[in-house]
Amino acid sequence: MEPIKTDIVVLGAGPGGYAAAFYAADMGKKVILVEQDKRLGGVCLNRGCIPSKALLQATKLITEARESAHRGITFASPQVDLAKLRAWKESVLEKLGGGIKALAQKRGVQVIQGRGHFEGSQSLRVENEQGQQFISYDKAIIAVGSRSALPKAFDLGNPRIMTSRGALELEEIPQDLLIVGGGYIGMELGTVYAGLGTNVVVIEALDTILAGADADLVRPVAARAKKMFKEIRVKARVLKMSTVGKQIKVETELDGQRREELYDRVLVAVGRSPNSGDLGLEQTKVEKDEKGFIQVNARQETADPAIYAIGDITGGLMLAHKAAKEARIAVECILGEDSRFEHVVPAVVFTDPEVAWCGLTENEAKVKDIPITVAKFPWGASGRALTYDRTDGLTKLILEPETERVLGVGIVGHGAGELIAEGVLAVEMGATARDLAECIHPHPTLSETVMEAAETFFGHATHTHVRKSTAAQS
Amino acid sequence: MDVKLPRLGEGSESGVVVGILVKEGQVVTKGQTILELENEKAVAPIPAPAAGTVAKIRVKEGDRVAVGQVVLSLVVVGETAAPSAPPPAPAPVSTPVANTAAPETPASDSAASADDSAEPAKSIHPPAAAPSIRLLARQLGIDLTKVRGSENGGRIVLADLRAYIQRLEKLATASKSAKPAAPPAAAATPAPVVESIDFSKWGPVTKKPLSVLRKVISHRMTENWNTIPHVTQFDNADITALLELRKQHAAAYAAKGAHLTLTGFAIKAVVAALKLHPTFNASIDAATGEVVLKNYFHIGIAVDTDGGLLVPVIRDADKKSLFELSKELQDLATRARDRKVALEEMKGGTFTISNQGGIGGAHFTPIVNKPEVAILGLGRGAWQAVVREKKIEPRMLLPIGLSYDHRLIDGGTAARFTVDLVRAFETFTEADVRL
Repeated sequence: MEPIKTDIVVLGAGPGGYAAAFYAADMGKKVILVEQDKRLGGVCLNRGCIPSKALLQATKLITEARESAHRGITFASPQVDLAKLRAWKESVLEKLGGGIKALAQKRGVQVIQGRGHFEGSQSLRVENEQGQQFISYDKAIIAVGSRSALPKAFDLGNPRIMTSRGALELEEIPQDLLIVGGGYIGMELGTVYAGLGTNVVVIEALDTILAGADADLVRPVAARAKKMFKEIRVKARVLKMSTVGKQIKVETELDGQRREELYDRVLVAVGRSPNSGDLGLEQTKVEKDEKGFIQVNARQETADPAIYAIGDITGGLMLAHKAAKEARIAVECILGEDSRFEHVVPAVVFTDPEVAWCGLTENEAKVKDIPITVAKFPWGASGRALTYDRTDGLTKLILEPETERVLGVGIVGHGAGELIAEGVLAVEMGATARDLAECIHPHPTLSETVMEAAETFFGHATHTHVRKSTAAQS
Repeated sequence: MDVKLPRLGEGSESGVVVGILVKEGQVVTKGQTILELENEKAVAPIPAPAAGTVAKIRVKEGDRVAVGQVVLSLVVVGETAAPSAPPPAPAPVSTPVANTAAPETPASDSAASADDSAEPAKSIHPPAAAPSIRLLARQLGIDLTKVRGSENGGRIVLADLRAYIQRLEKLATASKSAKPAAPPAAAATPAPVVESIDFSKWGPVTKKPLSVLRKVISHRMTENWNTIPHVTQFDNADITALLELRKQHAAAYAAKGAHLTLTGFAIKAVVAALKLHPTFNASIDAATGEVVLKNYFHIGIAVDTDGGLLVPVIRDADKKSLFELSKELQDLATRARDRKVALEEMKGGTFTISNQGGIGGAHFTPIVNKPEVAILGLGRGAWQAVVREKKIEPRMLLPIGLSYDHRLIDGGTAARFTVDLVRAFETFTEADVRL
């Protein structure tokens, strides 16, 4: 069978893959996009960012309704029609997936559904129910992403032991849910289920939830989760799981104490693994690290001159917006431009409250012994936070002491994910604390906290009083 | 506090330490000269930014240091010394910014920053620049760590990138024109073969290194001589009356602390002639192909120092009285000999006077001091037998030699300038001198 010839083949239609395919097509390249799922959009759209945010938004209302009682507004207990909630969530995904498909068509990007397998550096075989096709290309971009890791010990073939994928399907509202792993996925989905009324227990092996984020940013999340969840157990381990009737028996260990508990469901959120296993990469020069992530340079080039890789498959921060930027870089490099990834990647955890940061963190500065000055503005002093009835927030700037340049921004609080965009702009533009303090921020908004954090650095924030000498030097 | 080398002014971002005037443990006052730094232009004194005790000297004579480099550690009054040798690495938050603004640092105007040559201080963070600027730099193949950012926090903006490119261009053309084969008009002078000659074959010799100032003088003289078609016009000015005036008033000047010298008169005479002949107070801008006529009169005075020739400049000489000029001359000459003239004070001259009268000699042919276009060389005045009104009279004649850039100034113009200059020397009145 004659192979299909194309300039660029993109393997995987997640936020990295479709962004690469669309941009290459916009630049006049002939592009084929290969995706094994029926619906485009990858994990982000189908089993990650989007469905989790849809559910978080839906369940947030339940929490907010309950919490409005002390403001004099009470509601009857909510009735949750799971089938309807699932259908609404599904409709969001369908709309977005369909949108991507339509955009591909408009650009003349040929979408082939099937599993891709490299036959050589410039040849890809795609298999599906109809059979197989061969694609011969100039350049390939691998964007096959990652999947939730499920350690063998927990993989009992029992659907009640779920990864995030299963948890987002929302088959039922379990009475007791164990979440293994207090990272962002575990904490976000814990928030969803706790909102729906489930007793959520989180077990985290490290000494904190959301490890990696600065401790002062995690604190409000932990404090609220302690109220919303049944329990958060850090420095604890799950030793064994087994099926007992309709429940899961879980053997855990904390401070050397073992105990057995029964849960209706278990969510395993202990990290993500690269989907690099069955791609035929051994037929190419592409190199992987010991965990299976494809190794690339700042130009997204793999060891094979015809093959680029972007997104989760290359490891590091597994974030859709990072993949989308890498998609641009890869295509620009293919087009002959001297592009490279050198950008600030914001991270957002959609817990309640949200945590967001970008650039340098205090943790990283400590580890790398980078001198910094930190300027903080607690939200207790923000009028807008008070009207939201959510003063559990903090905005902080990580500054270079000599130049007062903003090296990083960290925010915890209601809507932190939206607020961090200003931080990204500040870091990317090389703005200084003075720049942020000088910009007029609208009142009353939470964005003022960024300005006021900068002002605390100079010792004259309007709504808080911090002497400059005590303005958190570290 | 760490004392860093301050900005030295336009085009000079580094220099060689020629003198360390303080010792470790020494107490210094704010503004006291701690180092002397020699660069392309001159020797500049580096003042202490604050009063304190010298904890550690971080440079030695002969070191080349760049702007921003730490030259010594100072325990400022009120601070305690860091224990033992290792200096306090992360300086206190607020001081470094203040350090860089040393007293003599001129406000950095855009022209000055366009001439920045040294690399900015090394940072562990990537250069502060917007993504669009980083992209542009990459497309142009420019390493942003080498570009000095002019904005708040050292942020690099488009103007900085442009200035950096212009500087690279300038450097490129400079090194090109420095190549021997460059000017086709100049009869192909082969590059001088640098060959060490063993003079000791013929007798005992003493060797010492060429000072940086000497190298600079050598380079500039060669450059000026090679690029400017020189003509020197000779004449004599009758200064009999002038000296009489000086004699009458010298005591009054001395009483007020000023030394009334011939050079003072010469400045006055030159300014009068320059006003009549603006092309002598001009420069050629080769880049734009324009003649730049200056509406100010800044007169450079060649000062003979132990280290070599220095040319401090008297600003706005046209607006100053003979008394003011005499005072300033005295001050500049003293400081030049002590090598304490700031670089800024040696810039911006429009015409130079070299007076050898104090030493001796008659006519000589000075070399034009680029980018100026003319220079006046004065020899020693001498009594001569002069025929006036068919009678021989003893008159004091001052030998003058006016070298000029023949590209801009024609012989006729030069002759007219000389006539007016001589007249100016010969027509000083009581009113010009009286205090």
